[in-house]
Amino acid sequence: MFYPLLQVSGWFSNWALFIGRFHPVLVHLPIGFLLIAAFLEVGRRTGKISVSESTISFILFWSAIGATFACIAGYLLSLGGGYEEELLSDHKWQGIGVAVFAWIAWIVKSDLLKFKIPFSTAIYLPAFGLATILTMTAGHDGGSLTHGEGYLTQYTPEPFRSIAGMPPITEPVTEIKPIANIEQAVVYRDIVQPILELRCVQCHNANKQKGDLRLDQLALILKGGEGGPGLIVGKSAESDLIKRCLLPESDDDHMPPKGKPQLTNEQIALLSWWIEQGASADKKVVELKKSDLVKPALASLSSGGSSVAGAKSSESPILHLKVQAGNEKDIEALKKAGLIVNNLSRDQNLIEVSAVNDPNFGDNQMGLLTSLSDQITWLKLGGTKITDASLKEISRLKNLNKLHLEHTGITDAGLANLKNLQYLEYINLVDTKITDAGLKNIASMKGLKSVYVWKSAVTDSAVSQVSRLYPKLLIVNGFNEAAVAQFLKAGDSIQTAVAEKVP
Amino acid sequence: MEKLLKELQYAELQRQTRRHFLQSCGFGLGALGLGSLLDSCGPTSAKSAMPGEEALKARIPHFAPKAKRVIYIHMAGAPSQLELFDYKPELVKYHGKDCPAEFLEGKKFAFIQGVPKMLGPQSKFKQYGQSGAWMSDYVPYLQTVADEITFMKAMHTDQFNHAPAQLLMHTGSARLGRPSLGAWATYGLGSENQNLPGFIVLASGGQPDAGKSVYGSGFLPSVYQGVQCRTGGDPVLYVSDPNGMNRDMRKQTINAINEINKQTYEEVQDPEILTRISQYEMAFRMQMSVPEVMDVSKEPQFILDMYGVKPGEGTFAMNCLLARKLVENDVRFVQLFDWGWDGHGTSKDHNVEGGLRQKCRESDQPIAALIQDLKMRGLLEETLIIWGAEFGRTPMQENRNGLVMPFMGRDHHLDAFTMWMAGGGVKQGFSHGETDELGYYGVKDRVHVHDLQATILHLMGFDHEKFTYPFQGRNFRLTDTEGKVIRQVIA
Repeated sequence: MFYPLLQVSGWFSNWALFIGRFHPVLVHLPIGFLLIAAFLEVGRRTGKISVSESTISFILFWSAIGATFACIAGYLLSLGGGYEEELLSDHKWQGIGVAVFAWIAWIVKSDLLKFKIPFSTAIYLPAFGLATILTMTAGHDGGSLTHGEGYLTQYTPEPFRSIAGMPPITEPVTEIKPIANIEQAVVYRDIVQPILELRCVQCHNANKQKGDLRLDQLALILKGGEGGPGLIVGKSAESDLIKRCLLPESDDDHMPPKGKPQLTNEQIALLSWWIEQGASADKKVVELKKSDLVKPALASLSSGGSSVAGAKSSESPILHLKVQAGNEKDIEALKKAGLIVNNLSRDQNLIEVSAVNDPNFGDNQMGLLTSLSDQITWLKLGGTKITDASLKEISRLKNLNKLHLEHTGITDAGLANLKNLQYLEYINLVDTKITDAGLKNIASMKGLKSVYVWKSAVTDSAVSQVSRLYPKLLIVNGFNEAAVAQFLKAGDSIQTAVAEKVP
Repeated sequence: MEKLLKELQYAELQRQTRRHFLQSCGFGLGALGLGSLLDSCGPTSAKSAMPGEEALKARIPHFAPKAKRVIYIHMAGAPSQLELFDYKPELVKYHGKDCPAEFLEGKKFAFIQGVPKMLGPQSKFKQYGQSGAWMSDYVPYLQTVADEITFMKAMHTDQFNHAPAQLLMHTGSARLGRPSLGAWATYGLGSENQNLPGFIVLASGGQPDAGKSVYGSGFLPSVYQGVQCRTGGDPVLYVSDPNGMNRDMRKQTINAINEINKQTYEEVQDPEILTRISQYEMAFRMQMSVPEVMDVSKEPQFILDMYGVKPGEGTFAMNCLLARKLVENDVRFVQLFDWGWDGHGTSKDHNVEGGLRQKCRESDQPIAALIQDLKMRGLLEETLIIWGAEFGRTPMQENRNGLVMPFMGRDHHLDAFTMWMAGGGVKQGFSHGETDELGYYGVKDRVHVHDLQATILHLMGFDHEKFTYPFQGRNFRLTDTEGKVIRQVIA
C-alpha cells in the first residue's frame, strides 16, 4: 500500500527512510527491557530478590511501547528494499509477535485490566515467555539481514566447528590453481568457474547480488540480472559477461569495477571461447574446437593462468624446480659467515647466496655451501679469495643457474669442473685467468646462455670462433682501448653538428 | 599484621566508589577506541614490524627477479620525443600550419594559448641496429646500442606540470607523501652491500623540480629513502671526520649515542629510533666505503674516455660512471636526475634545436657507455636501466602569451611521450606502442605511468597488486588502484 506513495513522493520516502533508519536504535530498547523484566520475574518467583509485580509490569509496558515503535520503524526501513524477502518476512512477523505478546503480558498484569480478562494469570507467563523468545529469534534474523547470513558463526573456532558439523573456514579465492592436464579439464568447472570465482563472484553470489545477478552457478549466469541475460550462447561479442570486461575501465558499465583486480586478456579469451563453443556445462577442453587465440591462454593455465605463455619461454626451467627447503642451521651458518642468503621467490625453496659483504671468503669455507647443494641457484663469489679448489665444490651445486666468479684467481683447470652443471646459464669470468682453452671447454655446455670474459686471457679471435660454433651462446669480451676509440667515432656527427649550431 | 592488611584493604575499598568504577569504565573504553584510532598516526604504528637494520634485509619477492638492480635516468624538464625517438615525417608537412581544432578542444596546456602552429621535427632520423630502431642525429652514441633497448612510444601521464608529473612518475601519486619507486624497491628486496645505502641518488644540472620527495620514503620507514651523494668534493656532506677527530674517537662517540638511543627505544618503542641507530652505523661504515666507491681515479683512462669524464667533474657523465660503480657494488637502486631539458624555446639553452642538441651531447655518450660498460661486466642482464622524463612535448610550437618564441620550442605534453628501458629482463631491440601520424596521441599500446611502474616492479620480482604497505588503516601500493604489467616488453 505504501509502494505507490513511495514512488510518487520523494518527500514521503525521505521521511520513511529517515525514521526507518532509527530501527536499529529503537530495537535495542525492547530487547533490553524484556530481558531485564524476565530476569526480575525469575528472581522474584525463586524468591531471590524482592521486587514488586508493579515494577515488572511497568517495565513490560515500556517494552511493549518500544517494540511497537521498533516495528513501525522497521517496516519503514524495509520499504527501502534490498533485503532477502523470506528472511525479512520472518523477521517482521517475529518482531510484530514481540510487540503483541509484550502488550498481552502487560495487559493481563495491569491493575486496570487484569480483572476484566478471564484466565489472565494463566496467560501471563506464556505470553511473557513467547515475547522473550521471539525477541531473540527476531534479533538474530535482524542481524542476518544486516550482516548477511552466517555472520554470527562465520569464525566459530574448533572443536565447536566440527561438533556443529560446520565446514572448515574457507579463505576467499585469491589465485587460480594450475591445471595439470588441460585437455581433460572440464571447461566450465575447471576453467570458467574458477575465473568467475576469482574476479566476479565476490559481488554476485547468493548473499550479495549486485544488479540482481549471480555468477556462481551456470543456470543463474544464463538467467542474468537487471541488464538481461549474462551471456548469449555462441555469441561472445554480444554477451554481457564479455562486453563489460572489454569496455574502457573508466566506463561506468565496465566490470569488474574500476580499481578492482581486472581479468587478464587470456582470461577474457578463455571465457569468450567457452561462450562461442556453446557455453556447455560439462564438455572437456579436448571436445571443443580451439582457435589460435585461445591456445596460448590455455597453455598459460598450467601455471595458474595469470601469466602470458610467451613470457615463460625465456625463463629458465630451474625456476619451476621444486626442491626441499634448505636446512635452517646450514642457512644460519652461511649468514653467520657473512654471506647474504635469500629465497629466489615465495613459492619455492631455491636460494641465492652472495659474498658481496665478505671479500675474504675463501676455499676453506666452501663446505658451508655444499650442504645446500639442492637449493643454491644463484651464487655470487665475485671479488673473493676463492681458487680452483672451490670450483670442485661448486660443481656439486647441481641446480646452479647463475655463477659470478669475476675478479677471482680461478683458471681453466678449475673451470673444467663445472661442465656437469646442467642448469648453468650465466657465468661471469671477467678479470680471471681463463684462457681460450677454458672458454672452448665450457662453450659446449647445453644450458649455457651467456659467458663474460672481459679482462681475462681470452682473445677476440677465440670469442668469434666459439660464437660461430655456438651461435646461441652470448660471449662478451668487452672493450679495449681500440674498441673505445672506435666507439667514440660515433660522436663525430654530433660534434660537427653542434659546432655549426652552437656558437 | 593481618589486621593492618585488612584495614588497608578496607580503606582501599572504601576509597573505590561507584564513581571510580564508572570513571575507569568510561576512560578505559574510550582509551581502547582511541588507541585503535591513533594506531596509524603515532610513532608505534605498523612500522614497528620491521625496524632499523632488520628492515634493510630482503623480503622474499613474489617471483624470481629478472632485474636485481635498477639505474633510473630521469631527464628532468622533459626532452622532446619528437626530436629524439618518435619519428613523424607527416609532421614535416604540417610545419608552420595551424594546429587542427580537434587537438585543442577541451585541452589545457601549461603555456600554449589560442591556436598554435605545428612544429616539424628539428632533427634528422634514421633507423639503426638489427631492430631498425628510429633515432635522430641528436643521439649518435645511443645508436650503437639500439639493439639493447626497448622503446615505449605511447607513454602517457595525468600531469602537465613538472613537479606533480615527476611525483606521479616516481611515487605513483601527484601529491606529496608516497614512497618513491626506489624506496619501494629497497623495502622489497633489501640492501645487499652493508656498507652502502641501498638507494642512492645522483643529480646533475640542478635538482628535480619536485624536490627530495621524488626519492623520499613517504610512509615507509625513513631507512628506505634515497641518499643523495654529491659528485664533486665530498660525496656525502659531513661524512668525513672533522679535523682533530680520529676514527676511534668517532666510533666511541657513535657507540655512546647508539647506547642512549637504544635505551630510549626500549622506553618508547619507536622504530624510527632503530632506523636512526642503523643510520649512524651505516654512516660510520660509509666513511670508508663511499669515498672508495665514488673515487674514479683508479678507473683506466679508456673507461674514462668512453664515458667522456675527467676526474673531479660533477657532470651527468660522471654520474653515469658512478652509477656503474655503485651497481657493481650491489647498490639496489641508483637514481640519476639531470636537470635542464625543458625546451620551451624561451632561451638559447631551453629549446628543441641547439639547446636540446647540447643536452644530448652531454648525456648521449655516457648513457651509451653505461650500457656498454654494464654489458661487458656481465651486469646488464641483471640491471634494469630506465630512461625517460615526467612527460613529453607537444607537436605544436609553443606560443607563450601569444608571442613567437625566440627559439623553436614545444610545450609540456601528457598524451604521448617516449621512454626506454634496457637490460634487466626487457626485450632487446624492441619498440612498443605507436602514436598518431603527428605524434599527438598514442594510438596503439598506450602505456600509463602506473603501467610502467607495475612493469618495473614485476621485473624486480613483485606483483604490484600484492606489494603493499599498511598505512592509516589501509594497504597502499605504488600503483594505488591502477596499473597493468606490460608483458609485451618483458623478454
